[in-house]
Amino acid sequence: MGERLMDELFVGKSFARMDKDKVIGRANFINDITLPRMLHAKILYSARPHARIKSIDTSKAEKLMGVRAVLTGFNVPEVKVGFLGDQTPLKKDKVRQFRDEVAAVAAIDEDTAEEALDLIKVEYEDLPAVYDPIEAMKPDAPLVHEFDARGKPRRNNLLPLPWKLEAGDVRKARESSKYVVKDRFSTQWVHQTCMGTSGGIAEFDVNGNLIFRSVTNVPFGGKDRLDMFLKNLGLKGRSRVLTPYVGGSFGSKLDTDIYEFILVLLAWKTGCPVKIVFSRKEEFLASPPRQPVIATVEQGCDSNGRLTFRNIDMILDNGAYTSWGATTPSVMMIPVSSLYRVPNVKFQATCVYTNNIYAQAMRGYGNPQATFVIEQSMDQLAEASGIDAIEFRKINANVPYEKTPMDLKITTCPMSECLEIVEKRLNWSEKRNQKTSRGVGVASFLHVGGGARVYLSDAQGIIMKVDDEGKVTVITGGTDQGQGSETIIKQMVAEATGFRPEDVSIFQGDTEVCPWDVGTHASRHAFITGHAVLLAGADVKRKVLDLAARWMPEMIRFDLSKRARKDPNFQVPLLDFSPLMDTNNLELRNAEVFLKDDPENKHFRLPVAKILRRAHLVGTGKGEMVVAEAFYDPPNEMLNREGKGNLSCCYTFGAHGVEVEVDEETGLVTILNYVAAHDVGRAINPMLVKGQIYGATVMGCGYALTEEIQTNHGRVMNPNLLDYKILTAKDKIPIDPVIVEPIEPSGPFGAKGIGEPACVPSAPAIVNAIYDAVGVRIKDLPVTPEKLLKAIKEKKAKEQ
Amino acid sequence: MRTFDYFKPVCVEEALFLLNKFADKSKLVAGGTDVMVQWKKRIISPVALISLRNIPELNFIRMNDCLEIGSATTHRSLELSADIKSKFPAIYDAVSNIGSVQVRNSATIGGNLCNAAPSADSAPPMLVLDTGVNIVSSDGQRSIPIDQFFKGPGKTVVQPNEVVKSFSIATPPENTGMAYWKHTRRSAMDLPILGVAVLLSFDEDIKTCVKARIGLSVVAPTPIRARKAEEFLLGNVVNEASLDEAGKIAASECSPRTTIRGSDWYRREMARVLVKRVGLISTERASHFSKLES
Ligand SMILES: Cc1cc2nc3c(=O)[nH]c(=O)nc-3n(C[C@H](O)[C@H](O)[C@H](O)COP(=O)(O)OP(=O)(O)OC[C@H]3O[C@@H](n4cnc5c(N)ncnc54)[C@H](O)[C@@H]3O)c2cc1C
Repeated sequence: MGERLMDELFVGKSFARMDKDKVIGRANFINDITLPRMLHAKILYSARPHARIKSIDTSKAEKLMGVRAVLTGFNVPEVKVGFLGDQTPLKKDKVRQFRDEVAAVAAIDEDTAEEALDLIKVEYEDLPAVYDPIEAMKPDAPLVHEFDARGKPRRNNLLPLPWKLEAGDVRKARESSKYVVKDRFSTQWVHQTCMGTSGGIAEFDVNGNLIFRSVTNVPFGGKDRLDMFLKNLGLKGRSRVLTPYVGGSFGSKLDTDIYEFILVLLAWKTGCPVKIVFSRKEEFLASPPRQPVIATVEQGCDSNGRLTFRNIDMILDNGAYTSWGATTPSVMMIPVSSLYRVPNVKFQATCVYTNNIYAQAMRGYGNPQATFVIEQSMDQLAEASGIDAIEFRKINANVPYEKTPMDLKITTCPMSECLEIVEKRLNWSEKRNQKTSRGVGVASFLHVGGGARVYLSDAQGIIMKVDDEGKVTVITGGTDQGQGSETIIKQMVAEATGFRPEDVSIFQGDTEVCPWDVGTHASRHAFITGHAVLLAGADVKRKVLDLAARWMPEMIRFDLSKRARKDPNFQVPLLDFSPLMDTNNLELRNAEVFLKDDPENKHFRLPVAKILRRAHLVGTGKGEMVVAEAFYDPPNEMLNREGKGNLSCCYTFGAHGVEVEVDEETGLVTILNYVAAHDVGRAINPMLVKGQIYGATVMGCGYALTEEIQTNHGRVMNPNLLDYKILTAKDKIPIDPVIVEPIEPSGPFGAKGIGEPACVPSAPAIVNAIYDAVGVRIKDLPVTPEKLLKAIKEKKAKEQ
Repeated sequence: MRTFDYFKPVCVEEALFLLNKFADKSKLVAGGTDVMVQWKKRIISPVALISLRNIPELNFIRMNDCLEIGSATTHRSLELSADIKSKFPAIYDAVSNIGSVQVRNSATIGGNLCNAAPSADSAPPMLVLDTGVNIVSSDGQRSIPIDQFFKGPGKTVVQPNEVVKSFSIATPPENTGMAYWKHTRRSAMDLPILGVAVLLSFDEDIKTCVKARIGLSVVAPTPIRARKAEEFLLGNVVNEASLDEAGKIAASECSPRTTIRGSDWYRREMARVLVKRVGLISTERASHFSKLES
């Protein structure tokens, strides 16, 4: 399946995005949807970082005209939610962070709901709080949770998720290493900052079933969690998840969020559809970002610069509750164990409860933090051993078809090629080591490229329905959150079936109709969908050709005699119809059926729509239609108890190289040149691949230089787009995206995933370039002008 | 529900009438880019919003012996005015870097100055140009030099019954260079960590300083002038060394705060660095102009 079809018509071409309705403002996002009788919800968040709730007085709010329900932990059933069951949607006993949901209101409009919030009086009794994970690990630290989900008393703030991975013998390897470096690095809280904020609409139908319009990119996982919630509330109904257009996810829409459970409660209590859409401020205050890590890393190499061992210890600030952020160490393990060839590896990650906002998934899922740490240490080790930074990486580069210490089975791997591209395009040898305020830096990455078996299934179901107009409807369980999957699915379906992209339409976003899918995460969508498309598409093609073999001779004869009747000069040719009757002789391409060996034969060529119509409308009770389905579950493995296993069918590699200029008087960093070389197996749509590389790289540059959720005693201080600084279009970063195509045998049409990777190596590449420019290394993200200027001044003071 | 009445007077007189009628329950609004943000954040809840958008007498750029700018002139119109760009480049530097084009299409210079944010981008250039602020009320008209205009964060000398009508700026003497620099972390949609405007007028030699103005934002509760640094430069030969010294003096005149947008030490340090740099740009512009003129 993986081999490249040499004469592909649609795959590999830069089709423009087909979802034009977004550009002209006609796409319906959650914000645009209004239902009859719909109410609007608002949530009251905690005013304290850690406190006991003494009382909540909602009487005034309830009396406000237009208010339909005021809910608190005291008037709804206590149902635990979340990955570790460590919270309830509305908090009752105590609050553990500023984003704790204390009360919720449904009212006839947003203003009334907001006014009602002002009328709710909450009395708190402050408790000592802890905001620093290191402090929180100390034995006498205040407990964020006194009990676990089962009611057992807790003794400390550590999560019961001891992430560990060990391969080889690190201690021995350290002893025999020629050079060893050890250092400590840390990263900041960053937000996914989707253009579309969080939101949803919940409603119960007359049978007590929940219909939930959601921005999730995991509709079936979301449905499971909502079903469980209904069950725990004691409700009999089941849920149906509908997903309208979504304005970005970047991981933020992977878990069912607390506001979604609150919407269900409000819809249940009021009997009306209830909607919420977060303001930008709420989005920053109450949606879960990427967590910070504090990492200690030690690496060694021999006299030839070959890595001997790597030992990394990570502390993750989990915040007050647990969502997917706590599982990111499973992905951190991939670069920790397998970025470059390193035989002996030890990794340990500890997630710690604090009274901070809590963390979710974000593009890269732990990989950006881990790669930040590893790639700076790589530079330090290269320097210690006196080897050029790119040369050092080439010495240790991953190679094709090798099993790594984590048991990842690498297939195609153009890592060295990517490094060489960076070296050449950046003019590395000339620019490196100039110490002129300008410098170059590099960082590589690897990431899952062929799905990721983080659940028991990594599958996607797909249905293709072909109608008698010759149009293909693809019904898929996957979702699009803006990445452009509609366009590439149409390209792939057209290629696999023999129809054209314009013949294909996509139906998605309804769990009642669409077949199951594990979710659009882990850079898996194009890869898994591609395989499902190939399976179902082959079936469609087979069925169409079967109909063609049975109907074409008759249809062609009929057409010829009709023509002869109309045109007395027309001579019906003598034709041998027998080749047409064998499906093996037929080909379907560009929505036409013709003879494989005689494509020029103008008699034996019919539009597929005509054949389908003939086969459907036969007038005898024997009509036929074409429907095909597939359920593709890739042959990847779940991690075993030791944290090992071939998580993905293939891995994607790449390298980013950056040239920066540092203003040594102000600490400002300007990116002068940026080369992003990416292995994508095969680009199904090169323009969209570049779009992913541009977007993710800009995100990575923001991670390096400007983005940071600033907190003060647990409170987010910059909940707006002025002070939370994502980069803008005017911050022209001269990105040169380079697509490398080794054609992946395990991939559909040779492709690997590209959704996440480009935001992984930016930060270390930039920090390494800054070091090359001015000789100071910033070990704590982001590199603000202040931090950098301070470091430069300290260095200059030391030198004097 | 929070509501307000919205009035669209067509002349200053009508606006003043409405101001008198609603008194402190009203709020003037020009582009609304500060007012609406404050309303949404519930910082203000006026009963009446009095719009200045439809008053032609407030929207103009006039260049005769002196420059006069109507208070409701948008940043975008200033940015696109060839006269402003060539003759008052410090104003151009400031207004062309406010927010985004969309913001500048709506936001006005009067709104920027009357809002009196310590970070207002147009304040430092207006300070170095010795701008006169023309204020009207139903009692008459008065003119205030801009260095007496700001009273504190969000506070000016403008009384609740007054409207700022225009800004008058004398044409600078020959051999003058001026510039504004907005120190930010990204290229658009950002407020300055520090804003610096410098105006230098020279003797014919383009070396000796006969007039010096330094305007700074974000280093004090209001935009300020660094008068000691100005005095130091006056009569002095302007070069890298003297500008470096002026930067040091200016930094000592600052009393910045530490906020999430920057630390006090960093802001003071940037005052030092940027006064020098913007001084150099001004010097260069002065010599460029004198070459053009001769
Ligand atoms: C996205 C965004 C980006 C921004 N970026 C910048 C930036 O880069 N730099 C910067 O300095 N500012 C910035 N601002 C702030 C704002 O745009 C400016 O201060 C703008 O110049 C205000 O002008 P306005 O006409 O919109 O004022 P308004 O909001 O209409 O009014 C502001 C204040 O001035 C008063 N006022 C207005 N006109 C008069 C008058 N004629 N007489 C008396 N009082 C009057 C109003 O009553 C109000 O108190 C930004 C704002 C936004 C929303």
